[in-house]
Amino acid sequence: MKLLANIALFLLAAIIVLPMGWVVLASFKTGHEITSSPWSLPASPQWANYARAWQEAGIGHYFVNSFLVTVATLAILLPVGAMAAYVLAKHPFRGSKTIFGMFLGGMMFPNLLVIVPLFLLLRSMHMLDTKEGLVAVYVAYSLSFTIFVLTGFFQTLPDELAEAASLDGATHAGTFWKVMLPLARPGVLVVAIFNAIGLWNEYSLAKVLISSEANTTLPLGLDRLTMTQHYQSDWGALFAALVIVMAPVLALYWPFRDKIAETMVAGAVK
Amino acid sequence: MTRRPLDRGRTVFAASFLAPAVLIYAVFVLVPLLQAVQLSLYRWRGVSAKRTFVGLENFKKLIHDDALLQSLHNAFWLLVIALGAVFVGGLTAAHALNRPGKAARTVRGLILFPQVVSIVAVAVLWEFLLHPDPGVGLVNGSLALLGIKARPWLGETATALPATAVTFVWHALGFYVLLFLAGIKGIASETMEAAELDGSTGLHRLRTITWPLLWSVKRIATIYLVINVLNVFALVLLLTSGGPDRHTEMPLTYLYEQAFTNSQFGYATSIAVVDFVLAMVLSLLVMAIYRRNPTEARA
Repeated sequence: MKLLANIALFLLAAIIVLPMGWVVLASFKTGHEITSSPWSLPASPQWANYARAWQEAGIGHYFVNSFLVTVATLAILLPVGAMAAYVLAKHPFRGSKTIFGMFLGGMMFPNLLVIVPLFLLLRSMHMLDTKEGLVAVYVAYSLSFTIFVLTGFFQTLPDELAEAASLDGATHAGTFWKVMLPLARPGVLVVAIFNAIGLWNEYSLAKVLISSEANTTLPLGLDRLTMTQHYQSDWGALFAALVIVMAPVLALYWPFRDKIAETMVAGAVK
Repeated sequence: MTRRPLDRGRTVFAASFLAPAVLIYAVFVLVPLLQAVQLSLYRWRGVSAKRTFVGLENFKKLIHDDALLQSLHNAFWLLVIALGAVFVGGLTAAHALNRPGKAARTVRGLILFPQVVSIVAVAVLWEFLLHPDPGVGLVNGSLALLGIKARPWLGETATALPATAVTFVWHALGFYVLLFLAGIKGIASETMEAAELDGSTGLHRLRTITWPLLWSVKRIATIYLVINVLNVFALVLLLTSGGPDRHTEMPLTYLYEQAFTNSQFGYATSIAVVDFVLAMVLSLLVMAIYRRNPTEARA
């Protein structure tokens, strides 16, 4: 039984790691090596693939765009989401359950359901094909998950601390910014990592809402690059681009893997 | 915190703290959602102000739309394959991972890799793994070593959907493994020890103890898979664009084609509504099927 479990474990690891390792390996091969055999090893690592991907193929430009969009979204999403979650968790009022439910409902339907009205809305606001428009949409569609997790987190914080602060003469808002938000830092961090990964990877909304090269984000750029490389066949650069897209996410994921797994399962079982 | 109804400061505070989130959410999520329902009742090509109210005509047209029916047929088979793979592969993996030790811990960390990288990366990766040229693709290259002829897996009508399903399962499996793992851990260790003392191990224990006790996790997994499959969009758009000859078309890729290639905004939105309603109905159906706790009867 133990042997069987070990074999299963090994197979599982191989199924995940083999394809990804193969891409990393291919990103160091010459074009000739890539097309001669999928099992060949690079004779000497072609770092030039990465340079071409970053500059000529525009991956560097897309990378910066993705970075800007992700950071701007988080900068708005986290305070806005935390403020709402705090009120819903610690200052319930008649109707606050309805508002919470309304936010939760957003986790149930696919973005594609509203893609047409969303496209038309942004067009009428002249925000189509702008980073600002994309950020606004990303904030809105990340609120459900953010408020869901942070409300749960604020509920676990003891009321006494807020009461002590308010006895000291702090306003409600002051109590939130100076006492409760710093206490909620671990929860905010998990939400930030989770959202950062999702935003960095987001494709469907960007595909519909962004059209110009200037505003193209990394997943969209990789898609474009794949299409152009079918004609130019600079596959070394394409594989390098693939690694550039995957590496930052995996680096961010690895230190938080247990917390992320826990949050995913907890969110599902709820 | 105690409620003080006359505290006006608190009301102002609560309102001002909620306002930004509610406002952003209302403008970009709630209003478009209502418009989607409304739009599905119109014939509209999105360009002119000419928008014709047609009632349920879009939905009547959907019933006779062969491409849509084909996409639902494909989604059904994708679901069947995914359910089989997730239940067999996911349960096996969860059992193998349910023990102490560094190896199990490391693999538990690796298991979400295919899900945390971008779906675009997953699609491009598999496009090359499945590349028809055995000099390029790892799959055909490996089969060539066994003397099996190379095939364009994603390009042939017979293999395109199964090949897409493999990619989908590779991408999605990790989450279900973790779900099953949490379920197995949730079964009290006394139950497992008692079973072991009674001589129930291995497959017997899986059949009589673990499988029935996992009923709530199986229910969640099934609902999530139904929703996941009906929401498949980017993966198929990138891998095959629904081809060859619509053999991998999914409801949402067809929606995308109708909206952004054919500018049939009203019709496309009615596809969205049908897809969503179908997901809800199937979820409720799964809830009803799994409603009874099988362990209760014996208690």
